[in-house]
Amino acid sequence: MGHGTTQQHDVIIIGGGGAGLRAAIAIAQENPSFSVACVSKVYPMRSHTVTAEGGAAASIKPNDSLEDHIYDTISGADWLADQDAVEYFVNEAPAEMIQLEHWGCPWSREPDGSVAVRPFGGMKIERTWFAADKTGFHMLHSLFQTTLKYGNIVRYDEHFATKLLLDDNGNCRGCAAIELRTGSTRAILGKSVIICTGGAGKAFPFTTNGSIKTGDGMAMAYRAGVALKDMEFIQYHPTGLPGTGILITEASRGEGGILVNKDGHRFLQDYDLGEALDVSDPRHPQKRAMELGPRDKLSQCFIKERDAGRTIETKDGHVMHLDLRHLGEAKIDKKIPFVRELARNYAGIDPVHQPIPVRPVVHYVMGGIDTDTDAATNIPGLYAAGECACVSINGANRLGSNSLTELLVFGAQAGRHAARFAMDHPDYDVSALEAQAADEGARVRRTYFDASRKGERIVTLRTELHDAMEDGAGIYRDADSLQAACATVTDLRERYRNVTLDDHTNSFNTELTAALELGSLLEVAEAMANSGLKRTESRGSHQRTDHPERNDDDFLAHSMAFRQEGGAPPRIDYKPVTITKWPPGARTYGAGSGLKKPAGETT
Amino acid sequence: MSGQYHRPHRWAWFLERPGYMRFMVRELTSFFVGGYLVVFLITLARLGGGEAAFAEWVAALASPGWMAAHIVALVAAVWHAVTWFAAVPQAMPIYLGEERLPAPIAAIVMGYGPWLTVTAVIVWWVLR
Amino acid sequence: MPAQDTMTLEIFRYHPETDSEPRFQSFEVPYNEDWVVLDAMNWIKDHVDGSLTHRWSCRMGVCGSCGMMVNGEPKLTCAAFLKDYYPFSIKVEPLVNFAVERDLVVSLDGFMEKLQAVKPYIVRDDVNDTSGGEYMQTPAQLAQYKQYSMCINCMLCYAACPVAGHEDEFLGPAALALGHRYNKDSRDQGQSERLDVMLMGEAIWGCTFVGECTEVCPKHVDPAGAIQQAKAGAAQEYFKRFVAPKGAGA
Ligand SMILES: Cc1cc2nc3c(=O)[nH]c(=O)nc-3n(C[C@H](O)[C@H](O)[C@H](O)COP(=O)(O)OP(=O)(O)OC[C@H]3O[C@@H](n4cnc5c(N)ncnc54)[C@H](O)[C@@H]3O)c2cc1C
Ligand code: SF4
Ligand code: FES
Repeated sequence: MGHGTTQQHDVIIIGGGGAGLRAAIAIAQENPSFSVACVSKVYPMRSHTVTAEGGAAASIKPNDSLEDHIYDTISGADWLADQDAVEYFVNEAPAEMIQLEHWGCPWSREPDGSVAVRPFGGMKIERTWFAADKTGFHMLHSLFQTTLKYGNIVRYDEHFATKLLLDDNGNCRGCAAIELRTGSTRAILGKSVIICTGGAGKAFPFTTNGSIKTGDGMAMAYRAGVALKDMEFIQYHPTGLPGTGILITEASRGEGGILVNKDGHRFLQDYDLGEALDVSDPRHPQKRAMELGPRDKLSQCFIKERDAGRTIETKDGHVMHLDLRHLGEAKIDKKIPFVRELARNYAGIDPVHQPIPVRPVVHYVMGGIDTDTDAATNIPGLYAAGECACVSINGANRLGSNSLTELLVFGAQAGRHAARFAMDHPDYDVSALEAQAADEGARVRRTYFDASRKGERIVTLRTELHDAMEDGAGIYRDADSLQAACATVTDLRERYRNVTLDDHTNSFNTELTAALELGSLLEVAEAMANSGLKRTESRGSHQRTDHPERNDDDFLAHSMAFRQEGGAPPRIDYKPVTITKWPPGARTYGAGSGLKKPAGETT
Repeated sequence: MSGQYHRPHRWAWFLERPGYMRFMVRELTSFFVGGYLVVFLITLARLGGGEAAFAEWVAALASPGWMAAHIVALVAAVWHAVTWFAAVPQAMPIYLGEERLPAPIAAIVMGYGPWLTVTAVIVWWVLR
Repeated sequence: MPAQDTMTLEIFRYHPETDSEPRFQSFEVPYNEDWVVLDAMNWIKDHVDGSLTHRWSCRMGVCGSCGMMVNGEPKLTCAAFLKDYYPFSIKVEPLVNFAVERDLVVSLDGFMEKLQAVKPYIVRDDVNDTSGGEYMQTPAQLAQYKQYSMCINCMLCYAACPVAGHEDEFLGPAALALGHRYNKDSRDQGQSERLDVMLMGEAIWGCTFVGECTEVCPKHVDPAGAIQQAKAGAAQEYFKRFVAPKGAGA
């Protein structure tokens, strides 16, 4: 693993998913003379954005309004979202989505040729744009293929970033990255850096997230001194296939699918989520009600139903049934064909004829790298966007279909701001950064290729981490469970220092990258468990059985986890939530729930 | 480090998959189609060369060897035509609004239909 | 099925730093009805031999990373179930027609260049101007290209294509299908630029319509059909240019 060559560009983007690619195009347009590097551990089209199914929200239809999208997002977030950020997001969303349409995204259409929208959970009006049920796939490929138009976007495919490089003035100026083909660590330098490395669902055993979602960027920023914000908020999606965790999109409920318990009863009506209208009623599916309630509530209802003994027991644990049969074959094939393909292939179920067994599954990390509405972090020259970042528009619970739009809005925003920073702060000392990268390469080698080590295998540590997080930081948590998770993670971090690999060779060493990913997950998991332990209230996806109520007096604030040296647990500070026009209120779903109270003045 | 491994060239690649063999058969049948075209051209030439030349040629064609060759050529030509008609819906899709005409129907509309029509017209013209 | 049941995987191994020739290595894996070949490979990597090298991510057949030859067939290993091979052994090799980087990892360099060559993006002057709202496109217009936009770049079609194996100039099934996808998109105006590329040498004419690309495509893209349609378009364009040189009449 010798030293690789140093590469210099204007802006460095780490991550080639939806957020990273959108940022790259923004920079290429903002300043055509700029050279933009896009560093990604997998080819961009393999990024996890590719799996997103249901859709992306933006208010464009005459029956919709920006205000409504803002209110749905804020109430969905249980008032933990920053309202200035949400306003910016919602206002920018339509133009960004139209831009992607211009770039070729094959959005599903109305007969007149305009873009079609579908209802989604927690949204008062149908405003979710979709490309059948492969929205993320089409968005990612449209973005990726559009980047091929720009000669000034230089890709570093299959380069694994391990460390951010900061100059003497504390500005972020690039990253050290392992070129997988050769195994050498390269210094990839620029005047500013954007992290777009996606989520960290792989801290949990049962997740919709692919193998690459290991929180690397979060961990890199955390190590460099940026706070990880609101990490205790982990979204469970109510409908994953048991066994594999493969997602069955919320669009299946947006199109009218229903959730039933073992008696065939639509149990959500028993939990204050509204009235169970007959599936033939023209008002079904009702927005912001029943099956189109928010994900946190639906997942919580499942657990209550299970504890009451009314779910279905299978070899892969308890499940409920997602029944789509009444939609009919034609509608299923037209609107949600991928759901049918996945259910058939991976569950042996044809949803045209049988209900699909589903259960809640870890899906999305609301928290992440602390950024402001400019996508900037507290390190000058360092920006973050996408699932790895926490602006925050998602607060305590993200609404389905806001995330894909967030990639565009804040990806572009990060790109523009990073480009401006690069213009204003062009000079840095290359040799100092090169030396840092060389040290990082040497550290990786020393740490993981030490032949005398007799430690544990990656899988042993990873399995224990998974168990600790599932048991300790699941849908319902309490002080004891979180304390136990914190203790296990601390212990695992200690044992990880001695992790032992079979493979000490250079070329395409994916055991090394798996070890580095486990290192990232341990950092991120530590922030999740500790932030959860300190937040002694229940809000959104963070449900404490020992503190079942929301407590705005003490916790209408973002948790900010700062990493400590020497294996000590993180310091948790709090930063107030920005409230502009929408004072915290009760979060209600069911009939008439989206009727927003007139906007109050700043509180 | 340029240690990529390149697999050796596989000369017998066409034996590796049934689909490749079908492809080879399809390509080989085109020799028969081409060969029969030559026979046809000779026939025309002989026709131009006078009645006697033509009669002699027709008599030669009636020999058992030539009859066998005719049958083989006919089978090959039919097979060739069938594979082409099977490909027509792929190469020339027909849309009715959002729906694509199903392959078997498209093969009839674009392939077998016109073929049978033309054949029928020729047969009628010859037998008229 | 007794829990201790096992299956054998014969896996192609090649390390660029130490090997001049590949070899096959056998691994016993627990048999689990729900497992796909990829799960078995991951089990080996986790528990038996951490040096086994393969790509994967989504495990749901959409990221396109995990294509390999499974018993000689190009397959997504996350969609190839052990139960379909049980109790016989399974031979896993890297996709053919590609250079092997290590074990099951093949080089995508050539494909990435070919993809870029077909200009797989909307070509149109006002493409960055969103002020006029979305471009209209009826469901019928969408249907014209939708199928060809479903490509996940998994490369199974290149492994099934005998031409891709020995003709470097040939752009290959997926790249051509994606070029055709944009040619068929009612919002696009770049057909002529794209045909410039396709008309060169063997770029598209290399295709002899073997058709196996379509047979193995896990996403029903039908690259073979796309290529034949594109050939027809290219032939028309060629003729036009012949009659009115420099595309004046196009
Ligand atoms: C199954 C599923 C369905 C979903 N459906 C929807 C939906 O319908 N609507 C919606 O709004 N949201 C949905 N989401 C959420 C949404 O898809 C994600 O939040 C979003 O795609 C994340 O995009 P991203 O660009 O931030 O990261 P990703 O797309 O995950 O990309 C991360 C990038 O970072 C790179 N990277 C990571 N670590 C490193 C490293 N160390 N070095 C170099 N590069 C690195 C990766 O290679 C990759 O290119 C869904 C999520 C899942 C899992
Ligand atoms: S055309 Fe089909 S087989 Fe070829 S790369 Fe695309 S999805 Fe894979
Ligand atoms: S792992 Fe993504 S396609 Fe198989």
